[in-house]
Amino acid sequence: MIFTDVIFFGFLGAVLSLYWVLRGHEARLSLLLLASIVFYGWWDWRFLGLIGFVILLSWAVARFVAQRPIGDRQRRWALIFGITSNLTVIAVFKYFGFFADSAQAALLALGITPGWTVLHILLPVGISFYVFQAISYIVDVARGDLAPEPRLRRVALYIAFFPQLVAGPIVRAARFFPQMERRKTLTGALIFAGLRAFALGFAYKAGIADNLAPLIDPIYGDARIPGDTQLADWSNLALIWATLGIAGLIYFDFAGYSLMAIGVARWFGFYIPKNFDYPCSSPAIDDFWRRWHISLSSWLRDYLYIPLGGNRFGETKTYRNLMATMLLGGLWHGAAWTFVAWGALHGFALCLHRALFKGRTKIVHWIFGLICTQFFVLLTWVPFRADNFADVLTIWSAFFGLRAGGLEEVSLWVWCVLPLIGLDAVLGRFRATTKHLCAQFRQPIVYWGALGSLVALLLALYPLEAAPFVYFQF
Amino acid sequence: MQLSFFLVAALALSAAHLLRLPNRGKVWVASVAFLVGLLMTSGLIRGLADLNNLGRSTAFDRIVNAAVAEAKQDPAPLIVFTGASYSRNAIDPERLTLALREAGYPHRVINLSIEAASVLERHQHLEQFMRLSGRVPDVVFIETSQAFDTRVAFMFGNAKFTARAIEQYDLRTSLHTLSGLREGACQGVTGCAKDLVFLGLHTGLNLFNVGRIGRGEAAEEAGLETAWDPQYVPRAEVDPAEIERLSVATVPIPNWIQTYRQNLHRALQAQGVREVAYYQPPILSAEMRAYATQVCATELAEHVCFAPTDPGLLAQLNGPVWFDADHLLDAGAAIYSRWLIMRLLESDVMAAPT
Repeated sequence: MIFTDVIFFGFLGAVLSLYWVLRGHEARLSLLLLASIVFYGWWDWRFLGLIGFVILLSWAVARFVAQRPIGDRQRRWALIFGITSNLTVIAVFKYFGFFADSAQAALLALGITPGWTVLHILLPVGISFYVFQAISYIVDVARGDLAPEPRLRRVALYIAFFPQLVAGPIVRAARFFPQMERRKTLTGALIFAGLRAFALGFAYKAGIADNLAPLIDPIYGDARIPGDTQLADWSNLALIWATLGIAGLIYFDFAGYSLMAIGVARWFGFYIPKNFDYPCSSPAIDDFWRRWHISLSSWLRDYLYIPLGGNRFGETKTYRNLMATMLLGGLWHGAAWTFVAWGALHGFALCLHRALFKGRTKIVHWIFGLICTQFFVLLTWVPFRADNFADVLTIWSAFFGLRAGGLEEVSLWVWCVLPLIGLDAVLGRFRATTKHLCAQFRQPIVYWGALGSLVALLLALYPLEAAPFVYFQF
Repeated sequence: MQLSFFLVAALALSAAHLLRLPNRGKVWVASVAFLVGLLMTSGLIRGLADLNNLGRSTAFDRIVNAAVAEAKQDPAPLIVFTGASYSRNAIDPERLTLALREAGYPHRVINLSIEAASVLERHQHLEQFMRLSGRVPDVVFIETSQAFDTRVAFMFGNAKFTARAIEQYDLRTSLHTLSGLREGACQGVTGCAKDLVFLGLHTGLNLFNVGRIGRGEAAEEAGLETAWDPQYVPRAEVDPAEIERLSVATVPIPNWIQTYRQNLHRALQAQGVREVAYYQPPILSAEMRAYATQVCATELAEHVCFAPTDPGLLAQLNGPVWFDADHLLDAGAAIYSRWLIMRLLESDVMAAPT
């Protein structure tokens, strides 16, 4: 059940209706928890036990930690136990196969034939997101930012809240728990704020990303069949267009899903902070990371980079911390060396940017910075999305004219994704330029007429075969 | 992927960005404005998509394209077979064309069949074939079978909410289906209720252009796929002796299909089709064969109509020639083709040999 499925609309309609019909605040929260269990169980009911374990563990550890005085040994060990147990859940379900395969390959390279068979474990949907939320809860309680929650069901709702359960945004415990205390009131502002986020997200995901996917999948792996057209068969231009398409696809897909999650949460009276802030308009790599997947980058900053020392212990250690954070951030995205390489490239770029332009970003021409940053980001989407390093090198070679190129071509219209990204950034980032237009849109006749038109446009764009959401694999 | 996709996407993106909290207003004004916006934009999209021949391309478009390519290559008079999967596995156009030419007829046989194609869908794509090829077939053979004649909305059984199902329920087809459902061309009360609901939904999805721009492409750009789909390995174990069992059971022929066939017959002749004929490929069910016999003997008695009732044919099909109970293997298609050629030559369905 993904947000663009017809079945999701039925589910959402039923849960929303019941939610606002119920008068008791606790009853509403219980309904949300039940809906979240149904939503997650819909994906694969077998993993309900796993998320249940994460919830129970986090609840118990946070309570224990809060009961002990600061500096207490047991408190410290409980905190370490809570965090490592959660990380072990990801390690087993997400990275076990990766590390075992890598070890096997390394041994084979050394001429040793390992005598074990690698067990490939099914990846539970959303595991990286809800485990990070669970860690956020334990650490926030330990830091004193949040009181431990005695009611298990509240912790369960925080970790399993269905709008952001399977693909984020990752919500901080300290921001979410106070919202559970407040009784919600259905207002026009809430409905329209949710509608705005959902409609924009739907336009991103169903309108644009899902329609780009079939063009690109034959090149970037998902639809490549052995014996069918191979990477070498595609022309250089086709590979460049496809990479451009991938950049658009990842952005519109993930930002769209995040916006829909924000919109749905809003309809239940919950506020989830934005996850993207038009990163394709960033003129510098550090700015890009302040705008791309904000909930993850800020999580990594607050729970990894700063605890590692951040930038407090000199330049060398700052670079080390940056690289460590980005390498782990890359690995978070997927259990493959290509993701590690993607993280390493971004880490290196951040270090380089810090070394060259520290405090002097303004002297770099904005357009030059924009072109360089976005071109770098574009190139790094190649390891992010390609199946292996051989494919990465082939595609990079196409960018620099270092390969002969095949004859297969991709639809040239893929380049139109650029103006779409540009339009999105102009309308979204430079709100002042659209202020006058927006004021006109507040007139009821204009607003409702435009909403009718938007529905018609989105229906015409609606993909009859929805593409899977890119970030579900993470 | 078309420029139209990006234009519509840009419009949707702009509208979604500009949405803000609206000022308070009257509910009826909001409702009317919403409906006007929805209907006008849908109408505009429909008009522009029609103008550019944009549709939700389906497997049937690919089959039509392959048939169009054949028709364009060969200026000979055309004999077009329109049917469902029974025909897709039974009508080998090359075999039939060669046999006809050996007999002195210049005709080219074209198979325009696809799995689960309702009678309405076949008609729709026959029209598409004529429009795209610029050719009018000399003879059109329309498959008759109980499964499709008694279930006007056969499509909903196995392909609901797909591009193919949505694409076919335009206003004209929806009205035909509705008249069929009114006459009970569906299975049981639950089946009829389901078909009615699905009809409403699919008509709505068609009217509001669902998926028409996103994956929209001109039918001609959908690629090629031949309808003739020979099978060589059985997919189900069947008792071939069943083919020699005969049944005299009769079932009422729905009024809806009779009226529809009459209208279709007249419409095709008005378009220049010289002869409209009917047939049913062999299937194991004696009752369903009996239905075809009954249709040929009663409703279609005045037309050329080939029901698979010939004991000689049935005896030859009593062997390992079945893909499953409803479909022939290539070996069975070869037997059926020989029989069909004999029937064609005996009938006066084709113009005199050259």
